[in-house]
Amino acid sequence: MRKWLIGLLLIPIVFVLGCDSGNQVRVAVAGPFTGNAAAFGEMIKRGAELKAKEINEAGGINGRQLKLLFGDDTGTEKEAKAVATRFATDRRVLAVVGHFNSTCSIAGKPIYKENGIVELSPGSTNVDVCQGSDWTFRNLYRDDFQGAFIAKYIKTYLTEYKTVGVIFENDDYGRGLRDGFLAEAEKIDLSVVADTAYDRDTTDYTAQLTNIKAENPDMLLISGLYGQAGLIAKQARNLGITAPFFGADGIDSPEFIIIAEDAANGTYLSTPFTFRAGGDEAANVAKAFEAEFGVPPDTWAALTYDAMGMIAEAIEKTYNSDAPLAENRKAIRDHLAGLDTPEEGYTGITGLTYFDKNGDTVNKPAYVKIVKDGEFTMAENQLLDSE
Amino acid sequence: MDEFFQQLINALVLGGIYALIAVGYTMVYGIIQLINFAHGEVFMLGAYFAFTLVTAFHLPFWAAVPISMILCAGFGLLMDYVAYRPIRNAPRLSALITAIGVSIALQNIARIIWGAKPRPFPSDSLPSFMRQLGQNETPEIYFSLLGIEFTQANISFSENVSIAYLDFFIILLAIILMVALNRLVTLTKIGKAMRACAQSRIAANLMGINTNRVIAVTFAIGSFLGAIAGVMVGVREYIEPTMGYYKGVAAFAAAVLGGIGNITGAMFGGLLIGFAEVFGAGYIPYGYGSGYRIAIAYIVMIIVILIRPTGLFGKSTGHRA
Repeated sequence: MRKWLIGLLLIPIVFVLGCDSGNQVRVAVAGPFTGNAAAFGEMIKRGAELKAKEINEAGGINGRQLKLLFGDDTGTEKEAKAVATRFATDRRVLAVVGHFNSTCSIAGKPIYKENGIVELSPGSTNVDVCQGSDWTFRNLYRDDFQGAFIAKYIKTYLTEYKTVGVIFENDDYGRGLRDGFLAEAEKIDLSVVADTAYDRDTTDYTAQLTNIKAENPDMLLISGLYGQAGLIAKQARNLGITAPFFGADGIDSPEFIIIAEDAANGTYLSTPFTFRAGGDEAANVAKAFEAEFGVPPDTWAALTYDAMGMIAEAIEKTYNSDAPLAENRKAIRDHLAGLDTPEEGYTGITGLTYFDKNGDTVNKPAYVKIVKDGEFTMAENQLLDSE
Repeated sequence: MDEFFQQLINALVLGGIYALIAVGYTMVYGIIQLINFAHGEVFMLGAYFAFTLVTAFHLPFWAAVPISMILCAGFGLLMDYVAYRPIRNAPRLSALITAIGVSIALQNIARIIWGAKPRPFPSDSLPSFMRQLGQNETPEIYFSLLGIEFTQANISFSENVSIAYLDFFIILLAIILMVALNRLVTLTKIGKAMRACAQSRIAANLMGINTNRVIAVTFAIGSFLGAIAGVMVGVREYIEPTMGYYKGVAAFAAAVLGGIGNITGAMFGGLLIGFAEVFGAGYIPYGYGSGYRIAIAYIVMIIVILIRPTGLFGKSTGHRA
């Protein structure tokens, strides 16, 4: 009787294991699907889903269907570690696309490294994200570039704004971007009159903004994410700060405008990609995306779409169903690490991606957008000769 | 000096919000010694109810706010009836765990219904005086009185010291509601019953007071006040499922700081936490310091508790409930 019961219990286990060796390959996507970067997470999920759908409709990867697993890191370090552990120890997952928040990518890095699985971030820009691990890559620029870019842009094109105040979120992203900006501002003699931090769990910034107002900067750099930035914009206007805002890719979401409302108008922001600068292929993807989800894609959907494409290509070129998991995971890493020159690089809708020895992408330019009448539009002047 | 007065106003507004929420914690604790962690979620629901009434049912703001408050009061009753009444005589730990469970459940239900993304109150649904200014608008001056200018956007005391009408309204509302609550507890029959329950629930019951009813009324009043705070914060900032958690923790700290169970204590505790946060962020040298404003507020709380373990208005002074 007992043996019979155990046998019965074993059936579903065998069944589950049996499914795995079937003709599927699994890739995990980790991002902030809830929490205060949820608007980005939603786009990341959709970008990944669209690419996977296109691959599967075209016959899959070498005849195998690509199956995605999603893990919600809520944009926090703690959850990111839990998600990273879950994916890294999952015997079915070949690679991870994610995380989005720099803090999360950094939190997951040692876990992915220890278990030997690739982490390819479509959104983390902090300088340290790829340092110290051969397994972490990203397909967009770093904040030292972005911060310096913003300083140069203000100095070159926004010459009527002589002084800048900085308000930054006290996390890896906000600090890193602010550091990059301050370093370049000093080099090119752009005057920074205020520099103050905020915590993402607070929603009242009047104390910091009152301090900034006392210094009367001509422009205010907000180094943080769209939700808090939207509130900062609103509260700054209410306190009578009339300086325009400059943000970075962290506020590149329609949510910023929804939250800040009228206060968003006139805000400049830098971003790693915009569909207006993309080619025909990007336009086609945008059309397919809108048909599928009913909303236009944003920067993060595009970068995730490309990241998924890179992983799929790596699997296509290296996957060996007879080899053990660790070997397949390593082959994907070796393939990505091999994309180290412009000739070897991967061309996607966001342009050419290739990695330096850290796993960073250093060739991609930044674009500047401006909010006009409640819409993002391309700024008149672009500073594209990067570096 | 301008900066100091502006910070003072900032602190008063934040403190007023905390005080309104803290009262809900402290009233319930005073009577049944339960830390109702779900109170922050009632605050959040108050904001979402008003938001839904305005956006989906197209009610005017002034109608949506009282309806939302009444809905929340009803919700407080329901919460007590479903979650807390069945375990009224169980060990206090069971009720505490239940409260945490209710809090997590409500947060996730809100996330399912309204989504995880923060939502602002649509500004065209708000009364015009709550509207914010765009970038290059110069506010029109309505009239001035004793050097104080009442403009289209705010009340302006000098060039650099001003208070938005909404913020002024929040402070005013906090004061009115606190006084009303104080009168209710000291002068009315139900207030007397509440004080009796706070002293001893068993004795009150023996004297013929329907303690279950008193507790239910306490939940309703606390939720009522929490809801209006929720709407005000929703208009001033934005609405999201976790808003009750962060504001709730700070308000709970305020209640403890003031002496939990004591209404006057909750008011002053709220103000003190607000002041500690704003002045901590405002006067710590530039850079990372202001990123730790919440920590500064909690350090103040810990210091007060170390010196006066029963809080500012501990049980020996004033009355509970």
